[in-house]
Amino acid sequence: MTLMTYVLALVLGVFFGFALNKAGLTRYTKIVNQFRLTDMTVMKFIMTALLTTMVGLFPLKMMGIIKFPAIPATYVVGNLVGGLVFGVGMALAGFCPGTAVAGGGEGKWDYIVPGLLGFLAGAVIFGLSYTSFMPQLVKIANYGGVTLPELWHINPYLAVFVFALLSLALFYLIDRMGWQRKQK
Amino acid sequence: MTWLKKQISKELWSPYAAGVLLGIVGILTVILAHALLGASGGFENIAAYIGKALSPGNTYFNYIMPAKITYPVVLLVGIFFGGMLGALSSGTFKFRTMDDEQWKTAYGNQKWKRWLLLFVGGIIVEFAAGIAGGCTSGLLISGGMLLAPAAFLFMAGMFASGILTALVVYGKKY
Repeated sequence: MTLMTYVLALVLGVFFGFALNKAGLTRYTKIVNQFRLTDMTVMKFIMTALLTTMVGLFPLKMMGIIKFPAIPATYVVGNLVGGLVFGVGMALAGFCPGTAVAGGGEGKWDYIVPGLLGFLAGAVIFGLSYTSFMPQLVKIANYGGVTLPELWHINPYLAVFVFALLSLALFYLIDRMGWQRKQK
Repeated sequence: MTWLKKQISKELWSPYAAGVLLGIVGILTVILAHALLGASGGFENIAAYIGKALSPGNTYFNYIMPAKITYPVVLLVGIFFGGMLGALSSGTFKFRTMDDEQWKTAYGNQKWKRWLLLFVGGIIVEFAAGIAGGCTSGLLISGGMLLAPAAFLFMAGMFASGILTALVVYGKKY
């Protein structure tokens, strides 16, 4: 890693943490109320971010100006089971690794001490048990670093357009049609 | 200019505005660093120092997530200071614990309970991120922005079990 990469990672991280803070995702209430469906902030924040990046990146890739970095691998059962386990911890504690670190920066030291120790313990347990189940799990329905347009043989512009329509429809339903539960 | 300053220093932005900012960060990450965003991966690199001490020949910590100050580790440092900068900009930075009112209605006032739940939650979340191939940042956001199916499988699982867990925790108050 060159010095330039270090500086770049630091600066990008700062903006990332800043966005998490401003969206309010560093709060237990915001995270758990997404799962109670009484506050749709997390959904709106994530979908807006995905859409913005897609609209910026796919045309550049199609025009051959950039190449995508390594795309996160699709291995159906692992991705899904991982998500299922992840949701339990996230709804219990009201954080995920990124929001806990940003929240720690805000001065919430219970995010830093038990939170960070928890992440490290989880990572150690995973690493030590890796060979006992992961190689087998990763093999099931593994499509590698694929994108949906490649997998389904559809035009990437069309895929981004459909994603945009779905996101905007979701925002409309939440903001205008009251697709949000009232808090008890 | 004062208007812009006032908007930036607000404690909470519209989720759409914050989402666009994250989206721009995502674009720049790919173009400038030819990499993705992430958080759980950095913890794996740090944990590797401990993991290698416990089990020197371990495959994962020697070959897959080695003990090194990698790009995701530096990203974590940035995220920390980004959160700090955000809180400073709105004058909300403060050393604190147990600051969430709703937490108290859900779990009560005991500090040990919060510490225990954050520790256990941390273990679950990080272990799960290992299985899935990333967390909310490294898989859902980074994969989703490139339209990787993995991201949407993860998202479906996360929401299904998150909703169920909140139901169990809140019971009649859900």
